[in-house]
Amino acid sequence: MSDVLAVAEQREGALRKVSSEVVTGARRLADALAARVEALVVAAGPVQGADQLGGFGADKVITLANPAFGRYAPEGYARVIADRARAGGYRAVVFAASAAGRDLAPRVAARLGVALAQDITDVTVEGGAVTVMHPVYAGKALLKLKLTATPAVVSLRPNVFTPVQRPKAGAAEIVPVDAAAGRVVVTGIKAAAGALDVAEASIVISGGRGLKEPANFKVLEALAAAFGGRAAVGASRAVVDAGWRPHADQVGQTGKTVSPTLYIAVGISGAIQHLAGMRTSKVIVAINKDKDAPIFKVADYGVVGDLFEVVPKLTEEIRKLHG
Amino acid sequence: MAEGAGSREQFLPAQYQPALPLDRLILKDGSPGAGDRMELDVLIVGAGPAGLACAIELAQLAKGASTELSIGVLEKAAALGEHSLSGAVVNPRAFRELFPDMQDSDLPFRAPVRKEAVYLLTAESRLRFPTPPTMRNKGNYIASLCEIVRWLGEKAEALGVNVFTGFPGASLLVDGPRVVGVRTAASGLDRDGRPLATYLAPNDLAAKVTVLAEGTRGMLSQAWCTWQQVTAANPQLFALGVKELWETRHQLDRIIHTLGWPLPRDAFGGSFMYPLAPNLVALGLVVGLDYRDGALDVHSLFQRMKLHPLFRRYLEGGEMVEWGAKTIPEGGYHSVPARRSGDGVVILGDAAGFVDVPSLKGIHYAMQSGMLAARAILGALQAGDVSPARLADYDRMVSESFIVQDLYRTRNMRLAFKDGFYAGGLKAALMTLTGGRFPGRKITMQRDAEVARHIAPGVSPGPLVPDGRLTFSKVDGVFKSGNVTRDTIPGHLIVGWEGTAELAEFYARLCPAGVYEQVDGGLRVNAPNCIDCKATDVLGPRWTPREGGSGPKYKRM
Amino acid sequence: MKIAVCVKRVPDSETRVKIASDGKSLDEAGVKFILNPYDEFAVEEALRRREQAGTGEVVVVSLGPAAAQETIRTALAMGADRGVLLQTDRIPADGLEVAKALAAELTNGGYDLVLFGRMAIDDYNHQVGPMVAELLDLPCVTAVAHLDIAGQRGSAEREIEGGVEIVEFPLPAVLTTDKGLNEPRYPALKGIMAAKKKPLEVKPTTPAAGGLEVVAMTPPPQRKEGKVVGEGPAAVPELLRLLREEAKVL
Repeated sequence: MSDVLAVAEQREGALRKVSSEVVTGARRLADALAARVEALVVAAGPVQGADQLGGFGADKVITLANPAFGRYAPEGYARVIADRARAGGYRAVVFAASAAGRDLAPRVAARLGVALAQDITDVTVEGGAVTVMHPVYAGKALLKLKLTATPAVVSLRPNVFTPVQRPKAGAAEIVPVDAAAGRVVVTGIKAAAGALDVAEASIVISGGRGLKEPANFKVLEALAAAFGGRAAVGASRAVVDAGWRPHADQVGQTGKTVSPTLYIAVGISGAIQHLAGMRTSKVIVAINKDKDAPIFKVADYGVVGDLFEVVPKLTEEIRKLHG
Repeated sequence: MAEGAGSREQFLPAQYQPALPLDRLILKDGSPGAGDRMELDVLIVGAGPAGLACAIELAQLAKGASTELSIGVLEKAAALGEHSLSGAVVNPRAFRELFPDMQDSDLPFRAPVRKEAVYLLTAESRLRFPTPPTMRNKGNYIASLCEIVRWLGEKAEALGVNVFTGFPGASLLVDGPRVVGVRTAASGLDRDGRPLATYLAPNDLAAKVTVLAEGTRGMLSQAWCTWQQVTAANPQLFALGVKELWETRHQLDRIIHTLGWPLPRDAFGGSFMYPLAPNLVALGLVVGLDYRDGALDVHSLFQRMKLHPLFRRYLEGGEMVEWGAKTIPEGGYHSVPARRSGDGVVILGDAAGFVDVPSLKGIHYAMQSGMLAARAILGALQAGDVSPARLADYDRMVSESFIVQDLYRTRNMRLAFKDGFYAGGLKAALMTLTGGRFPGRKITMQRDAEVARHIAPGVSPGPLVPDGRLTFSKVDGVFKSGNVTRDTIPGHLIVGWEGTAELAEFYARLCPAGVYEQVDGGLRVNAPNCIDCKATDVLGPRWTPREGGSGPKYKRM
Repeated sequence: MKIAVCVKRVPDSETRVKIASDGKSLDEAGVKFILNPYDEFAVEEALRRREQAGTGEVVVVSLGPAAAQETIRTALAMGADRGVLLQTDRIPADGLEVAKALAAELTNGGYDLVLFGRMAIDDYNHQVGPMVAELLDLPCVTAVAHLDIAGQRGSAEREIEGGVEIVEFPLPAVLTTDKGLNEPRYPALKGIMAAKKKPLEVKPTTPAAGGLEVVAMTPPPQRKEGKVVGEGPAAVPELLRLLREEAKVL
């Protein structure tokens, strides 16, 4: 039976969280194919957390190891994964559409001579063909695509395939591989300059004129800090125009389009210009004292009240959650 | 703020308007500040129907005469049509003359006018009355001006005309009394006017003849007329139209015009609703800017109007796909400048005031003026004589054309309404019956900014709370206009006032795009919202050209 | 320095998306098409490298319909030297087939660099660049946000989760460009005039359909009706509960 190969990711010898999403997605596909899931990670040696992948649905976990593979090596990784995929006759190969995955998946697909469905939000089997959903036109439409070649190579959009824990744990194995020196060498990773960018953060807290004056953005910064480095503070165009916040923080109109997992709009009324910037956020929370503010029509959850009372309370509770 | 002793209730917008910045709009040729310089035979400012028709006719005539002409057209929008907005119901005669080998079905129109209706509206109902002869549209076509402009643009480019989109004409270049070309606006400046990495210096384009086809309230045309002291019997008057395009569930099979509600009786105007396709409806409200009530807000009035059963029945369940606004020159015959040609320059279309209000037509006059200008210019170039006397051929041709004949016939109709709806309506009816002869004497008008406004709290209905389905806020409208102007460009509006909350409120109501807000008694200016309708230039802060590509991106308006 | 830049004609991102009657594609009525913004970074980078080297050629290549000539002209107006349009009305959904068509044109071009935008704003596929690199057997770095080149060696920076990856590679190479790499220039008036005279070769092409088929294009799922959880700070505990248990974002 042809299996599904799930390509996990590691950094500095530890498995990246997105790997559980990849295995979850691979499991979903494998179940539709009545197949097994083999999780694969390329690394320098044993990877911390690899044995947990069984708990997300991997029947087998293989680490392809070579001392040269500690850091992402595009050509080397592509070669060993493609070789494995070819040798194993897999029905499908699943990547994460992470920074590395988006780079690696096309190389593997090209080596295998097959199509790649990149950045998908759902995967099923229809009429025997692997079928996927892919958002296009900045999320304004959804494309349903059928992959007609084997293996079907896909990459999953992060934060969509919520990991589902299962009681089973799979076998883990380390397989040494050769590493031909690739021409493209990652020589290091440095910290991103400055604070988390609104377009990158998985949580965005945006403030509008309801904050009354620039100094009050402190209240939002405290909430962002309570999320422990995953949150960024954004701003509506009105407050950017008024000079309260830098243009780089602007969400909506000609500021950034963001699509975080959680978007909290504080003191923002919700004009279309702002909504256009954050419409594709997964979950939208609005806090505003005007119960008729248009933003409540778009928000998944709303709290009507004085933000100067609600936000500090929220901050306190989030801090408790993160212990 | 007082107009007379103790009268806090009236004010004159003109008192707070800065003067036209002539020192910026008229530059001596050779002034420093330009990057590249280009020499052309003919330079046309504005790629609207007038400018493009002029370019096409010139190119066609030149080809026919085996002459090579370098023709350039400057357009401030990033792409053709993006700043074009009209109803529109078009008289095809100019098209037929410009493209004699085409059938009507080849022309960029949506549908012929089949049925039409005119209504007098009240708050809850309507009274149909027979279509006035000036408004009969049989033989005319419903069209989108954006589509017309894109179509004309393709024809022009195919003939070798250079159309430069994203380059606004910012100043006239002059040598003595002669216009020798245009300087474009710079781009890539930050809010404080400092060059960014993408800075592009202004360009100087020099030409033997400069054609000003800027459309309504053109800055360079205004500047030239002021500088050369070219006046008209009446000042130019303007109306503001706010328009939306809807994809509807219910089909519309006729063009509709209305008068009356929701306009107050001392305001002139009316609405239109046209089917571009049975389920694609263009509708709008047009209001003369000499309205007396300082709290009147055309956008708001338009939103309210859509709730009337006549409109609601078509719009319910549909989707508003575009929004926009533009002023319309309404002064007619008596407001057309005494001459529209001069030393090195001619003025076309709306910029010259060639709009007939009673029939709501301007596009075919614009195109015809462009074609006549082209003939005059080619003659002048061939004779090697571009003197004012020679270019005055254009004025002669226009005077002998249907443009002036039509405008003369309706010369007092709009003006009659300065006495209010009923007196005006009566006079207009008399004029119609007598073919314009009675009442025939010119009705004198003041500049819109010199009409006193009253602020009487509670007279105008309060702001409508938009429901987001049938009615929309100004900010939502601006979004639907496609405006994505860079938020950090330098401000382009010249505010000439330090003052009261009432005036700020007046500006806030005046501007359909929410550029002005009254905040804590002062005026906040959100310049990037501006969609270049020019209402501000008529009654409030002065509009000046800004970075190319700024403003709306109309698609089918 | 000889540089090729592959560009794509795409609908303006402000486009309101209406699905065509075939249920699989965009209704193009009233849609404005532009040069893919990510490709602008690539064109700009190519122009700068050529300027720095003092000599060289920037060639713009595109796979697309006849109207893509306008897109190529925009790049020529920015300063590129010549263009090639691989003309087809059917751009395959399969990025590998697009890559094959482009690679066939680029091979034997003797390019020091082949640049692509990181992704197209219509299909969001992020793949043609690295696939072309594989087909041409050239080193490739994607999503380049910073670039240094010295002789035949290059160093790039690319954004990854929580940091910046530093990558070194030899020339010739394929790179895909990301926001932040540079500020693309506006075409100057002279550039627009000059572009009309620059060579633009049109080559009719028939790419194969490949292994990816569009089944349908649909609007995104409607967001479910939101709810107001409560009033004031007292609503916070319930909000948190919903965010954890229902929305599963905490």
